[in-house]
Parts: sequence; structure tokens; C-alpha cells
Amino acid sequence: MSARHPVITGLGIVSAAGFGVEEVWRAVATGTGGLKPLTLFQSPRYGQNPTGEIQRDLIALGAPTRASRSDKLGWLAARDAIADAGIDLAKTGDRAGIILGTSVGGSYDSELFLTTLIKRGKMRARATRFHECSSTLDLIAEQFGLYGPGMALATACSSSALAIATAAEMIMAGEADVMLTGGADSLSRMTWGGFHSLLLVDAAGCRPFDVTRAGMSHGEGAAMLVLESEESALRRGAKILARLSGWGTSCDAYHATAPHPQGAGATAAMQSALRRAKLEPSAIGYVNAHGTGTRDNDLAEAIALKTVFHNRVPPFSSTKRIFGHSLAASGAMEAVVCVQALRHQALPPNPGFSKCDPTIGLEPVTESRHAPLAHVMSNSFGFGGNNGVLIFSKAETAQHTRAPGKVQVAVGGLGVIGPGVVTVKEITAPLPPGRGPVFSCGTLADTAMLTPNQRRRQSRLQQMALITARKSHAPDATQRVSVSIGTGLGCLEDAGAFIENLITKDEREPMPSRFPNSVHNSPASQVAIDQAAMSMNSAPTVGEVTFECALWLGMSQLAIEEADCSLVGAADEVDKYLLSIGQRWGAWNDQIKPGEGAVVASLARAEKTAVPLARVTAVRLGRYRTPFNAETEADWIASIVDLSQVDVFLSGAKGFQKLEPMYQAVAAALSKRAGKAVEHQTYKQFCGEFHSASAFGFSLAVNLAREQQRGVLLYTLSQRGAKALCLVQP
Amino acid sequence: MQISTHELKSKIIESLKLQDITPEQIDDDAPLFGTGLGLDSIDALELVVLLEKEYGIVIKDIEEGRPAFRSVRTLADFIAVKRPQ
Repeated sequence: MSARHPVITGLGIVSAAGFGVEEVWRAVATGTGGLKPLTLFQSPRYGQNPTGEIQRDLIALGAPTRASRSDKLGWLAARDAIADAGIDLAKTGDRAGIILGTSVGGSYDSELFLTTLIKRGKMRARATRFHECSSTLDLIAEQFGLYGPGMALATACSSSALAIATAAEMIMAGEADVMLTGGADSLSRMTWGGFHSLLLVDAAGCRPFDVTRAGMSHGEGAAMLVLESEESALRRGAKILARLSGWGTSCDAYHATAPHPQGAGATAAMQSALRRAKLEPSAIGYVNAHGTGTRDNDLAEAIALKTVFHNRVPPFSSTKRIFGHSLAASGAMEAVVCVQALRHQALPPNPGFSKCDPTIGLEPVTESRHAPLAHVMSNSFGFGGNNGVLIFSKAETAQHTRAPGKVQVAVGGLGVIGPGVVTVKEITAPLPPGRGPVFSCGTLADTAMLTPNQRRRQSRLQQMALITARKSHAPDATQRVSVSIGTGLGCLEDAGAFIENLITKDEREPMPSRFPNSVHNSPASQVAIDQAAMSMNSAPTVGEVTFECALWLGMSQLAIEEADCSLVGAADEVDKYLLSIGQRWGAWNDQIKPGEGAVVASLARAEKTAVPLARVTAVRLGRYRTPFNAETEADWIASIVDLSQVDVFLSGAKGFQKLEPMYQAVAAALSKRAGKAVEHQTYKQFCGEFHSASAFGFSLAVNLAREQQRGVLLYTLSQRGAKALCLVQP
Repeated sequence: MQISTHELKSKIIESLKLQDITPEQIDDDAPLFGTGLGLDSIDALELVVLLEKEYGIVIKDIEEGRPAFRSVRTLADFIAVKRPQ
């Protein structure tokens, strides 16, 4: 038995059906729904359709005030999970990290900003401070002291399943001993109006798998798991609640919103999780289905279940009517349900179901009942065909999950859409009128590479990702390809236009084709469709270290042999709101200018790369402490890379002022430590300041390694505490 | 009242941002979805918005619209029947 097997030692959950693991389990076991008429905001058109809304005072429960609604939900669940695990995080040094699934992020709060701006002409930019999906992660990591690897993944409704899988991967790879992992998402006007515009909401409340089902119900919430290596749990005498014995991911590479009609991606993800756990399908005693209640999802999922389990489908149920569909949080909330099912040896029922759908031909569990359970499975599927499947096992079972091997990774291709300097006026009319230049990509060249449908339907951000991916890698049906394309702020233009339209037209004339573009994984999933890339598909979003997270994910897929090729990259775009909010905060000046662009690199095992541009020999994520100490950082770098291999220190300096002295100090400390002058180079003077800028740093590093045969250390800090390094060598 | 299929085609082209295509190139009876124009389920939802905005027809269940979305002609007939007078 490997000491690195991930086990679960703590749980926390906040939901419309209850707060805390016990209260939630009582609701689940009795099938008592949390759906009530919506009160959080006014919906002129869609009214108060049944919703899993949390109607308790989050501040009174202890949540921080300076945070978005999603942040508050996540914080409460994190506090409870850490207390449940009884872990003293101060003793973990930088061996405890955090990976969260978030999709809505601070949208609910940013919508208040937009409403005030549009309806009253007042700019209250403070509400947008917690807009980013990584805000929840930064808040929790900072407050509870999680200095290990950190990542937020935004793959819509499968986000937290992917987050939990990635956290397990981190532990198996030995990069952390403890990971706080899960997800948080609040209700928002955008997702409310969005799913309604897709005609996917059941006005009677969702009825998963029922013959009369007519759509989903919205929900919100958060759930967190303390995942820990078995060795770490045993060392500190922690109670092991359950094991995470398998996890699998896949991408349909089929459509932006619709699942593959035969459930091909869902099938692949379930099979991958079983392989990882070294379990036969017959070992699974219960499946917590994704079961949203939409006609297409439930049918495709049922077909996939029949395929995976050879028509002997174990007892299954959807708990979506209990919580509502809490989007990025749902995978983590259902993980809590699965762990509790194992602990109580009981099957959760499927409220909302009364009559079998003959096209499905399967009946879910209708009443809670005792059952001997050793292994249970949880399915989560999201927009863009992003699938994540987790297998939980009883604490007493033997675990056979295999550890990843070490691989040499080479860059085989690189696609870059770089900015040229243009004036603000050339982007879109900013509010209020902006001054000075912006590093904009302007009108995209190379759109001839795109299909007519990609040109008419995909936003500029997706088009940038599609073009750079094509330049880095030609679609190849013989390869298993994974895609990790991160974004700091996502598709600002389409998300902004969608919300603006909801507000100005009171939800009339919605924009159904813009909504799917608003999820952060839309560039990654569009690339997957274009490249027929059916291995893991993910969209990390972690401020300035977003690209390095994508790089970590792509390299991990190669190490565990789930992909032959990994497309890794990042993309961000400028829009009028970003310009005007940045202006209000005084972010832009003569030295610091907003930028945008996209970079995608194709990675493969070095021995399988015919003409390697460069090798990537290290990538690591972490968090710096305050006050910042350059010597500590030099220690961290020296503990990961051989400094004799480093000729150039490539940093994100010449961007935001706050980070400037930190970068300069680390550059000096590193030269001292290496006993030689390590040249300090920067890239933001070429591309401007934006979250994906370090992807440009990476493309520069690849070129330096290739043209000048020099080893380049790319070192990046985020304004909110994250850090990352990567070593690129000839 | 029957509407002109030419007018309807222009509106479809505009609403779906169809590129390099004129109303004359769309056959009244050709299937709108699956083949030909390469439209998908999200385009169908845009047509739902178009029907409401231009003709005051509200569709709450996409199944309701499915027979109407077969071709431009079936859509024109649907509008003629359902349009509020």
C-alpha cells in the first residue's frame, strides 16, 4: 500500500438543504429538498422558479465581510472542513495546498456594480474587487495559511470534481501532503438568465430521470474536503473518513452546451476512474449521478452508465433536487454525499422521480435504504463536455491507485497571438473615456484558419485560443490530446454583453449564444472540439500564475499517461469595463499598460518529440508569505531547480508596482545563491500587464533556450499571494 | 397573416450572424438544422429569441418549436398561425 494514497480526513458543506455535514446528510437521507422561490434578486421575466438558495445570514455565521458571495460560502465550508480534520495547518509549512472549483466567482457582486453603473450612472468599482474565480482560493489560503500549491479550476459544472482529482494528483506526485479541495459558487443573474435563455430550467423544480423532467433548478453552495496522503493522516493520528481511490476526466469534444448524445465522454471518464482505482465496474455499489434533470443530460448519462456497467447499473440517484444545481460546487457537495453514504452504509434517494422514462429504462433509488457499500462513484459533467468522475472507498478497503512516473517533457510547437500597441479608442468605447495606449491584439489576423461557424459564434477570446492552438499543434486523430488553457478573467466581452443586456432589457431578448462563451473553460473546450481532444480538459484561473497552472496540469497528464500530447496555454482579453475599472483604481499609467493575448504550447514526452523547441524540466506552484522574504524565495527555488542550469531569471517585473521590488530582490538573492550573475530579463514591456502575461514569458523562455542555448527560470508572483516557477532548458 | 420567406431569411441571417450567405441562397424547403447551414441547438435558441422579438411568439419549451424549425417555410407557417393578431 502506497503511503501517498489520498484519504479524506475532513468535510465541510454549506447548502440550501442545510449547514454542516450532519444537517445535510439528514436532508439527503430523507430526500428533503432545499428548493424554494428565489429571493436573492428580482427576476422580471423568470420570476421565482424553485431554487436552492441559501437564505441564512452568512456574516452572522462567521463569513468575512470583505468578500464576494461565493467567497463567503467557500470560506464557511473551508473553516468547517479544517476543524473537522483537526489539523494544525501552521505545522504543515508549505506542504498544504488548495485546489478549488469555481465558475461563477464574484459575478453576483460584479452584477451589482453593473446595475448601479447602468441604471444610476454611478461607478462603484469596489464590488468588482472579488470578481475573479480565484478570489475564493486566495481568501481561504491567506486566512487559514495554506502555502502549498494553489489552483482554481473553472470548468463549469464539473469544476470541483476536476479540482478534487487534481488535488489527488498533487498528493500522488508528492508536491503536497495535505490539500484543501472542493468548490464554491453562488447564484448570479448571469447563470440564472443564462440557463433560462437556454430553456433548461424546470419551472416545477428539477425531476432527474423522471419521464416528465423538463430541466434543472439553480442552486448555490460550497463544500470542502481535507484530502491528505495516507502517511500524513496516520502520522498525525487523524480519523480517515473515506478514501479517494479513483478519479477520471475526459472531454466530449462535441458541443459547447449539449452532452454527447451517446455519453461517450461520460463513459470515458467513468472508465478512466475505474482504471485509476484498479476496480472492476461490479465493485461499485452506488453512483451519485450528475442527473441535472435536463432531457439531454439524463438520457446521455443513462446510456453511459449502461455502457460502463454492462447493463448491470448499480443503485444510482441524483441529489440535485435537494441542493439545486450548484454548478462548480456541485461535484464537491456530491462528494460529501458519497462519503456520508459510505459512512452510513446507506443509499441516498432521488427526489423528483416518480415515473420511469422508457427511453432511459433505468430507475434511480427512490427511498433511502441500507446497503453494504465499499466503493461509490460520483459523476460531474459540465459545459464544453468537461467530465469529472470520482470514486470513494470505505476507509478500511485496500487501495491500489498507481503513482505517476517521472517524464522528460519537450515543447513541440508554440502559437502566439501577441499584442501591438494601439490606442484605447480602437478597442471599444470605454467608460469613462480612456487615455493612453493599450497592448491590444486589435483585429485578429489568421481568422482564415477558422471555420465559418467558429468565426460567427466564437468570441475574440475563443478565436485567439483556437488560432494559437492550431499554430502549436495540427489536429491528429491518432493521439490522445489533453487541453489546459487558462484565463485570468475569461471572456469579458461576451460575459459583459450578456449581463448588460439582462439589466438593460429586464431579461427580455436574452443572448443564448453568448452565455456558453462566458464560462472560463470556453476557450479550452472550443480547442478540444477543434482538435478532437478527448483527454482531460481544464481551465485554471489563478491571477498572474494562471499559465503555470495550465502547464502543471498538462505535464501531469503526460506523467500519468492519460495523454500523448498536452496543449497548454492561457488567454485573456481587454474590454471596456476592465479599462475603466483599472482607470478608477489608478492601475494604468505611462509604465503600466493593460494588455491581452494568447499563447498555446504543445507538449509531449521528449523521446516522442521529433523536433523539440525546448524542454520543460520543472514546474511548481506555491504561495509566498507576507512580509515577503527574497532569501526564502531563493531557498524555495534552489530546493526545486539546479541553479547551475539557470542562465536567465525571467520575471513578471515592469508590471504592477507592488510586485516590482519583490522581483528585483529575488533576482539579486538568486545571483548570490548561484554564485554567478544570473541575468534578469522581463517581458511585460512587450505585452503589457494582464493575467496571462506569463504565458508570453514562457514563449520568450522557449525562444531563449532554443536560439541562445540558455536555461531560463520563469518566476511569477500574483498580486494576491500565489507564486510559480518553471524551468525551460535547451 | 403569411409573412414573406425572403424577409424571414434576412432576419435569420442577421440574428444568427450567418456569413457570406444571401437570402437567395437559402431554399424555402431545405432543412435548417443538421446539414446545409450548419446550425445547432444554440442557433435554435437564437431563433426562439427572434420569434419573440419580431413576432411576439413566446416559446417556453424547445420541443414546441422543433417542428417549426424544420425549414424556412415551416417557420413562416408557424409564425402565421401563432402570431398574436
